[in-house]
Amino acid sequence: MDDKDRPDGIVLTEAQKKSRRQRSIAIALALGVLVLLFFAVTLVKGPAVLNRPL
Amino acid sequence: MSVVDHNAIELSPRISEAVVADYIALLKPRVMSLVIFTALVGLVIAPGHFHPVLAFTSILCIAVGAGASGALNMWYESDIDAKMTRTANRPIPRGRITRPEALTFGMTLAFFSVMTLGILVNWFAGALLAFTIFFYVVIYTIALKRWTAQNIVIGGAAGALPPVVAWAAATGSLSVEPWLLFLIIFFWTPPHFWALALFRSDDYARAGVPMLPVVAGPDATRLQILLYTIVLVAVAAAPWPLGYFDAVYGVTSLMLGAVMLALAVNVYRNRQGRAALRATRRLFAFSILYLFALFATLLLEVVAHALAPLVFW
Repeated sequence: MDDKDRPDGIVLTEAQKKSRRQRSIAIALALGVLVLLFFAVTLVKGPAVLNRPL
Repeated sequence: MSVVDHNAIELSPRISEAVVADYIALLKPRVMSLVIFTALVGLVIAPGHFHPVLAFTSILCIAVGAGASGALNMWYESDIDAKMTRTANRPIPRGRITRPEALTFGMTLAFFSVMTLGILVNWFAGALLAFTIFFYVVIYTIALKRWTAQNIVIGGAAGALPPVVAWAAATGSLSVEPWLLFLIIFFWTPPHFWALALFRSDDYARAGVPMLPVVAGPDATRLQILLYTIVLVAVAAAPWPLGYFDAVYGVTSLMLGAVMLALAVNVYRNRQGRAALRATRRLFAFSILYLFALFATLLLEVVAHALAPLVFW
């Protein structure tokens, strides 16, 4: 194979690509849940959301 | 001629092939399920109205905090996990996840669980959750586990705190009832883990963990199991005569306690061969059922009280 045909940098294997994609989806879902959680609690507490007793 | 040496790819950084299941394994899901259940009971028996969304948030944060503790525990203990049959399949010894990855994962979850509980529910509960994680990771895992045979006695406090955190989340304060739940789990921990340590003592000895059967021998451990079980049964029944929990709980607690005590006596008496192994395994298995049934009784009582007006209307 000619040098110019070789891809630059690190080339991921199929297994690495698959696991990275799976981890990315999991992180996205976790962030989505966090956003929904903050939104839901804001609706529940209303203006009192800023009132956090010690 | 190429400037880039393609052979250098051999020296490139390790690229993870860890899948989501490996990270879930880091959270110790079975421990987490017990934490969720005991925290749920702490939440449900707390007085006053607690909005379901806030209740869900609290349980989620406590569960994630417990998972963070598990990940940080596996980060620190990967060397001894690799030596023990029971733990050799964990993600770090298997090479699925590196120690720095586990540390980052655990610290991130710990940070988000504590901050979310503090911001969305209350800071008292958030601080208690932070203390629980700190106690499990620093006091139990790092300081006690490799140093003293009393590791799981003192460290058991971390496992006993979730219902206290949940009560604090629901009420913003603490009273006697959550501490009763704390004491039940606290005195349940030694008989449960020492039963496990009795039939896994070779594993612990190989890893150099000074569990009681390794340090003091199996007979001394059997005596300690019996003594702690006697205290456990008394502590678990005490809330009934003290007037904190009612007769249904009291009678259930005494019946379950009688079985637990009988199994502990069996462990104490059977010291040789297959009978000894069978007695120890039975106690270990029943101890899980014992704690679950005890807390389930409290949960069912609250549900029954809540449904009673609807049924009798």
